[in-house]
Amino acid sequence: MTSLAGIPYNTLVVAAGVAAVGFAAGVIGSLGVLRKRALAGDAAAHATLVGVAAAFLVTGRRDLPVLLLGALVAAVASLGVLVLIRRFTRTRDDAATAIVLGVSFGLGITLLSGITARGIPGGGGLEQFLLGHTAALTAADAGLLAAVSAAAVLLVWLGLKEAVLVAFDPDFAAALGWPVTVIDYALVALVAVMVVVGLPAAGAVLVTALVVIPPVAARQWTDRAGTMLLLAGLIGLVSAVAGVAASAVVPRLATGPTIVLMAAAIFALSLLLAPGRRRGA
Amino acid sequence: MNAWLSEQAAMHAWAIATAAVVSSGCALVGTLLVVRRMSLLGDAISHAVLPGIVVAVLAGGRPGGMLVLVAAVVTALLTVWLTQALKSRAGLAEDAAAGVVFTTLFAAGVVLVTAAAARIDLDPSCVLHGILELVPFDTVRLGGFEVPRAFVTAAAVFGLLLAAAILTWKEQLATAFDPAAARAAGIPVGLVTTGLLAATALATVASFEAVGAILVVAMLVVPAATAELLVHRLPWMALVAVIVAVFAACAGYLAAWWFNTSAAGMMAVVLGLEYFAAAVLAPSDGVLSRAVARLWLAWRVTCEDCLAAVWRSEELAADGRAEAPTAVSLWQSVAFRWLAASGQLVGAQGAWRLSTRGRVEAETVVRSHRLWEAWLGRHTELPLDHLHPPAEWIEHHLGATVRKRIEAEVGVQESDPHGRSIPPERK
Repeated sequence: MTSLAGIPYNTLVVAAGVAAVGFAAGVIGSLGVLRKRALAGDAAAHATLVGVAAAFLVTGRRDLPVLLLGALVAAVASLGVLVLIRRFTRTRDDAATAIVLGVSFGLGITLLSGITARGIPGGGGLEQFLLGHTAALTAADAGLLAAVSAAAVLLVWLGLKEAVLVAFDPDFAAALGWPVTVIDYALVALVAVMVVVGLPAAGAVLVTALVVIPPVAARQWTDRAGTMLLLAGLIGLVSAVAGVAASAVVPRLATGPTIVLMAAAIFALSLLLAPGRRRGA
Repeated sequence: MNAWLSEQAAMHAWAIATAAVVSSGCALVGTLLVVRRMSLLGDAISHAVLPGIVVAVLAGGRPGGMLVLVAAVVTALLTVWLTQALKSRAGLAEDAAAGVVFTTLFAAGVVLVTAAAARIDLDPSCVLHGILELVPFDTVRLGGFEVPRAFVTAAAVFGLLLAAAILTWKEQLATAFDPAAARAAGIPVGLVTTGLLAATALATVASFEAVGAILVVAMLVVPAATAELLVHRLPWMALVAVIVAVFAACAGYLAAWWFNTSAAGMMAVVLGLEYFAAAVLAPSDGVLSRAVARLWLAWRVTCEDCLAAVWRSEELAADGRAEAPTAVSLWQSVAFRWLAASGQLVGAQGAWRLSTRGRVEAETVVRSHRLWEAWLGRHTELPLDHLHPPAEWIEHHLGATVRKRIEAEVGVQESDPHGRSIPPERK
């Protein structure tokens, strides 16, 4: 089978993989938004570019698993740098985030431009990680993305009660003797993983939107955490599929911006149509 | 060949000058953003002005022209207004609201650029990281010279920002550090903040061609954060931030030329290195100077403890209860050797005695210790055996003035609560 209703088989598989990413990002992003750490992954997202470029330079290969592993290392390293800045300097959190974000993105751009200027074979395509581009993904790549996403959702499923309580009332959770800090780190680590698997679809610059917009859209419809997570997942899924479809149809259109605009449209509709919700966290 | 070389040099000089002016403007605005904890707003604005710029260019504005500047300011204010509206109407946390607004606006800008790429003079990669290297090729004639258009815009915007900063400095300062008092003093706090946001938008759009939308955040925040580690007064912070930014512009451009890569990216990298250097080497707050200060304190405490130990052993020897002090750690044995070498101790390992100079030091420490015990004994309910630990710590930190005050407080005493004599002041 090479096509279904005129759509190439590969596009369908990629769409399914990216849909899984969108779903998982919505679910995990919900926990981040509830914990009021909506932008926790933004610095890490911009830093992934360094990892992608470095992984390509070190291995000389452009296989997605290799590049994403590099991205994950860079994302975790950027979070480590944030912790170090907090621990050892007077710089406040907002400035620290902006520093890590700006400088790591600058380093990423420096490496990418260097690769392009030297004409290293296969290096040109790395620019796709800036804004996302799903057309070049293979079925195996999509399988990897889907598998990681499924694992992330499974982890959330297992620790849902703990994560939700920590998100809503960290002091109470601490009073129960729960390791709030560990759960917080686990949450940030999960967000970093989602940012990395969201990279091929949404790109380093906009991938944060995957973990922010679907959750806040879902939040307009419900006051129940479980429902919100599920709904955010579905909104992320729909947005992701729309992005893949649009970039498959319109030439040169990056996937990331389309996904973001789709999610934003759903958010705007939610804001207008959702019943009975006006204020309150 | 020579003409070609000097033309090349002029090209690079113009690019560097543009980068320097652009990042000076960002550093100036960034100083206020950083002290007001609005760094992430700078991030949001620098992303969000993109659709404004693209629409203005589609409407016939030239990049860097008046129409584009106005459009960018309007979009920036719209971003902030939308963020506030989402916060109050949709009940979102500030960062979530900002996250929704700036990613959406940036995505819209990218789609617009992609859709209109054939018709307008902007391309998606320029949007992301700018093309400083191309700045010198687009010139206007100014007083008989060919001057890059981006430089003219950047210089005009920098002049405007500098003038605005100087004229409203008092208001900005008051709003930054005590908004409630500023409001009470009749300063229009809202207007001052709006002005700062507009200034951020102007600095961003002037930087746009040179460094792109995303690296602007590094230009805004890193110089100011670096300066904050080095100096403690706002005017100095602004000046140091500008110096840091200009250095990064020059060094970054040259490094990028040498390594054949993106100048804007390299400028951000140099800024990161400057921040790292400041964090490690800053005179009072640096990691290194604090480590050295801690190490020095630990060393001084050890030396003083060794001297006091010898003094106490001599005191006991006078009672016929001889007890020679010995080093219990490597650190202490080094301290003993140093004290002997510097003439504060005489004798040999296991039989140290104080020299005249060493005795002055030792008696000062023991006097501080026992005066503190006497004070604690009088003013607290601590049992006798709990007086020693706090005195053991504070003996290294009391000065002559404080000792005099304590003595005035407890009265001149022959002995501490343990019945041992308090040595007289020797310093």
